[in-house]
Amino acid sequence: MKNKLVRLTLNGIEREVYCESRTTLLDFIRHDLGATGTHAGCEHGVCGACTVEVNGEIIRSCLMFACQADGAIIKTVEGFSKSGEMSDLQIAFKKHHALQCGFCTSGFLISAEDLLRKSPMPTDLEVREGLSGNLCRCTGYVGIIEAVLEVASTRAQANGDKHA
Amino acid sequence: MKSAPFQMHQVSTKDEILELLDRYGDDARIIAGGQTLVPVLAMRVASPDHLIDINQVASLKRFGISGRSLEVGACVRQSELEGWDELTRAQPLLAMMLPWIAHTPIRNRGTVCGSIAHADPSAELVLGLAVLDGSVTLVSKKRRRIVKAKDFFLGALQTDRQTNEFIEAVHFPISGAATGYGFAEFGYRHGDFAVVAVAVIKDGDSWTIGFGGIDDTARVHKINAESFDQVNQFLDELASETEVREDPTATSGLRRHLMRTLGKRACKQAMEFKRG
Repeated sequence: MKNKLVRLTLNGIEREVYCESRTTLLDFIRHDLGATGTHAGCEHGVCGACTVEVNGEIIRSCLMFACQADGAIIKTVEGFSKSGEMSDLQIAFKKHHALQCGFCTSGFLISAEDLLRKSPMPTDLEVREGLSGNLCRCTGYVGIIEAVLEVASTRAQANGDKHA
Repeated sequence: MKSAPFQMHQVSTKDEILELLDRYGDDARIIAGGQTLVPVLAMRVASPDHLIDINQVASLKRFGISGRSLEVGACVRQSELEGWDELTRAQPLLAMMLPWIAHTPIRNRGTVCGSIAHADPSAELVLGLAVLDGSVTLVSKKRRRIVKAKDFFLGALQTDRQTNEFIEAVHFPISGAATGYGFAEFGYRHGDFAVVAVAVIKDGDSWTIGFGGIDDTARVHKINAESFDQVNQFLDELASETEVREDPTATSGLRRHLMRTLGKRACKQAMEFKRG
């Protein structure tokens, strides 16, 4: 029974939809709000494909019920770039062959953005650690790590130029 | 992979929690972080009729030093404690352990008390509470009681919590000025469950050495040793004599080996421990 009213902000837009108590935030985002960039992988918290940002912190959207996100500010992969354009991180993923099938990519992008926000110049090891909660089953991780490291250094350079 | 239907009660006071637990007992489950419970529901290992969501109970979101203990309320996230500036000073062992719990997105939502409530034999915080000789505050409509870790953890996923009780807070004794700490863990992938984890507390010649992952719950040993050789000898003997778990992830032989090697590493760390 869809008796729970959930009001939340998804990528800057306020939404208001009824759902069942048992609907996960993941299913709510995909099925009820129609934002299918967030992917449903293992649905029990192992793979990281469904990672989204809730009130500024990244979480697994499969491990939270939608009704618990009432009032929350949510950002999904769609919120990290303008429609029709790619973010610098997405461009770097393309350049470094950091995806093949792309199923895990939105989760990786969100974990990587969170890592770069908290630690703008991470070491190789910190990137590996920061992305350890996301699984890729086809391309492997080397390209992903290279992409993140490259973006870290180009962003640092751009920031340096701004301050100079 | 979808939960069976349930009624969600989103409460904002402790009284509401107690009222609902009193009414529904075993048909209700508390949900805070849900990092264990939601998969359990999704796989339908459990299908309670009622969930009591305690995330909006303001008084359960607090943590801090109370007397000689670090008191952590039921809704405090693992990442909140991990990010607390005072943690290394208050209880260095927790600061060592927390980064080993799963991954950032899990710790951002998972609670300290939730991990204790679940009582997984490999969980870092279960080992931490046991080795530090901490305690748990359980509250029901009729009474409030404080239970020592050694009496609280009864076995794998088994605790002394009664169906009408909930964990209000857990208490980790704070660090003594001259106490040394060590922690070592082996898992197949960072963030996976520990195959074996070892936590060590050293107060002068008195050592407390706790092991996670080897049995149904954390195993804690206390010894007196004047030299590191004596500690090594103890670890060698203990690893040979102890009955340890064997499962598809690790043979008992591997676990014994890890008890020795990780045990020595953690004891050495405790011996060389310097306060940050």
